[in-house]
Amino acid sequence: MFDKMRTILSKVDADYSDIRYEIKKDTVISFNGKELTKIGSNSTDGYVLRVLKNGGLSSVAFTKESDSEKAINTAIENAQLITKNREKPIKLAKTEVVKDIFIPELKEDPRKISTAEKLELVRDYNNIPLGYKKIATTIINYEDVIREKYFINTEGTEIREDLVTTLLFGEIISKEGNLTQNVRVSAGGSNGFSNIRNQESNFEERTAITLNLLKAKPVKGGVYNCILNPHLAGVFTHEAFGHFSEADIIETLPAMREKMKIGNKLGNEILNIVDNALIPNQLGFYKYDDEGVEVRPVQLMKNGVLTGRLHSKRTAAEFGEQISGHCVAEDFRYPPIIRMGTIFIEPDKSSFEELLNMLGDGLYILDAKGGQTAGENFTFGAQYGYVIRNGKVGEMIRDINISGNLYQTLKNIVAVGNDLVLSKRGGCGKGQMNIRSCNGSPHILVNNIVIGGV
Amino acid sequence: MEKLLEMAKKVCDKAEVYSIDYIYNPVTFEDAKLHDIESKFQSGISLRIIKNGKLGFAYTKNLINREEILQNALDSIKGEVEASYDFPLTKELPKLDTYNPSVENLSTTKMVEECARVCDILRSKTDGEISITSSTYIEDIHIINSKGTDVSQKGTFYGIYGGVIYPGSASAIWRIFISKKFEKLPDDIVNEIIELYTLSSNVVETKGGKMKVMFMPNSMHTLNGRIFSGTSSKSIYEKISPVADKIGEKIFNEKITIYDDSLNDKYPGARAFDDEGVRCKPLTIIENGILKSFYYDLNYATKLNAESTGHGYKVLQWGGEQITLKPIPALAHMTIKPGKKSFSELVKSIDRGIIIEGALGAHSGNIPNGDYSVGVNPGLYVENGEIIGRVKDAMIAGNIYETLKYVIDIGDTLHPSFIGLGDYNAWVPAILFDNLSVVTKY
Repeated sequence: MFDKMRTILSKVDADYSDIRYEIKKDTVISFNGKELTKIGSNSTDGYVLRVLKNGGLSSVAFTKESDSEKAINTAIENAQLITKNREKPIKLAKTEVVKDIFIPELKEDPRKISTAEKLELVRDYNNIPLGYKKIATTIINYEDVIREKYFINTEGTEIREDLVTTLLFGEIISKEGNLTQNVRVSAGGSNGFSNIRNQESNFEERTAITLNLLKAKPVKGGVYNCILNPHLAGVFTHEAFGHFSEADIIETLPAMREKMKIGNKLGNEILNIVDNALIPNQLGFYKYDDEGVEVRPVQLMKNGVLTGRLHSKRTAAEFGEQISGHCVAEDFRYPPIIRMGTIFIEPDKSSFEELLNMLGDGLYILDAKGGQTAGENFTFGAQYGYVIRNGKVGEMIRDINISGNLYQTLKNIVAVGNDLVLSKRGGCGKGQMNIRSCNGSPHILVNNIVIGGV
Repeated sequence: MEKLLEMAKKVCDKAEVYSIDYIYNPVTFEDAKLHDIESKFQSGISLRIIKNGKLGFAYTKNLINREEILQNALDSIKGEVEASYDFPLTKELPKLDTYNPSVENLSTTKMVEECARVCDILRSKTDGEISITSSTYIEDIHIINSKGTDVSQKGTFYGIYGGVIYPGSASAIWRIFISKKFEKLPDDIVNEIIELYTLSSNVVETKGGKMKVMFMPNSMHTLNGRIFSGTSSKSIYEKISPVADKIGEKIFNEKITIYDDSLNDKYPGARAFDDEGVRCKPLTIIENGILKSFYYDLNYATKLNAESTGHGYKVLQWGGEQITLKPIPALAHMTIKPGKKSFSELVKSIDRGIIIEGALGAHSGNIPNGDYSVGVNPGLYVENGEIIGRVKDAMIAGNIYETLKYVIDIGDTLHPSFIGLGDYNAWVPAILFDNLSVVTKY
């Protein structure tokens, strides 16, 4: 394959070019209630070519090898058009030349397990919630996605890496009268099929929550002090803070770039945030990004002060900051963009009980469902929660959506727990899907959160 | 693909081959400067086969190995996914005007010039940060099946999307303009961006409570997505639609009429057949507030003992690639009938309220139930008929089956709006509602 790719690159008359070829194999199993709606394995492939010429950078994604000449011409034309229409040339940060083959070690390779065995396991999990009378339906999906990647560039880098992702995710939906409630369930990771096994108690727990929600009260809209559980706090870290650590988001927003200057104090002393895609056996794990750069851990915030951000070769040159290896594509249909690897709030000292005592009166809200951010504003849902009175956990509440402003919320994080948990399932849709997006946090205490109950 | 169909017919009862080729060229200006030009040319094929009432499905990008894709489809039959439907025999379709060579022939240079022109106007009239993306999309769809259907259609899309960002916030006043041919972004759209941005530059702190709320086309996806869910045959089959037994009943205010017209080739994306090769026809979903019909694809029509209404599309929230998706029922051309009031007349009739220019979190919450709870991004604050600024950190929450009863008035112009499904667009007016619940920090 490398030979074929070298031949294509040899025809490109530019200052720099790279090409990535990928074969993507996936197996999907989906249940909707009792009914199996999807099953099968497929293989797809394609190329992405990037060209830098005279300060213009452009990319072309193409399916057919026979289109490679057209792709080269289009990429060069577009790169030159960019050169003509920009005052400031685009530069790419220099990186080390890498020659490596990285095939991750797996605890059970999903490629070696039959679809029949996978189906049986997923069916058994799906039957757990369906065994309860008040569970109206379920949506349970299994997926394994294998990206077999080949990357070369004109600097001499040559990388062959596999990314193997297993995912088990879905919703359990309960119904009583006119009221329906749903709770999500998920499992998975980057190190093999074993992540999908032994999820019976996970399904039992999530089912119990879905059933209990039928008796919960809708939350009253208002402003509350809240404890966020690790999953919800992790999603907050990703959605509200993480995206502004992605240099390509703020690169072209001058005012935001000013606010996110390294050295600015945005949070309290207790707040430390890191992106570390190298933690082994986590969903976010990888070795090289899709620009052929080795990923490294980045301390994004230390004691409330901004200390680093996530870069591509383009933004590292633009900001004059260290390259970080965070430029990743969904698959062969896309050029890479900056993505978080494994982002999390580092644990502090407080136990959950201590956080409850600090909170006194407020809400304990758990598990994100859907989240969105636009600029400094974010909104996302919590799957369920509890009213807290005098440090004691009270009745269950439902229909919780929170909304806020990044900068105010960072300042309002007043305590961080000691119980870090990293997520098992990603899914960040910043133009492309990133199923490996991993986040985490301990329990955190946040003051003054806007809750928009129904 | 004909060869693949022949091979498939030999080993199973029914077969369908769907192929798509598309070209996508986006040009992006960020901070009023040319930032990026990309290009994609992609191809792909998907195969559906039915044997003894069980479904097989597979897809591939490069059709290098026909045996492999057929084998993948045959393997997936073993999962025993039920498929009691048959593929349609579709002949003599209406001729639609969906292709315009001005899009295919549009040079990237021309797109760069158009973006630069819009950027210059916006920059000279506002103090915000300007972001503009212009793109062309050309698709060629071809479906053949074992019944003898052989239908194809080429379509062109030109779009420009962008606006002015309030500095330091990444929240913006933006507009989207789409057409099946290349045309300059109309002045009235550019002027509306400038006017609304200027009027809302100041941040106002206001108390929440019940008030008038206007959903703009930019935030209507909050409601579209829930109408889509409630009236889908898939939701009826799954028993999660709250209006499953309400055909013929009044469920919304009488001012609300919602229909789906895929044959309307005034707009880009018109279709004579859906992604299953079923002939398309207009369908009324809600007429004067009364629920008239649900919409069906082949699969759910058969399960519910009905006919496909020609609404089987290969779509997914987050826009997965078509070939990888099996068709589901989708309102791919949803339209809400416009009213008679201009935007400024609607604003004048608000004593105190919020105009939602953008909604955050529309895809979360209990969608089947119709519940929504969205952050405003931005929300324009109106007092005594005048926009006096924008509110931050406000949330609007409700349930569409309540909200759509409190319609005060409907705008007179249709704009493209998302429904939460990839490229497919709804056409909707602005709608002013009474008595919605708003939560703010103050």
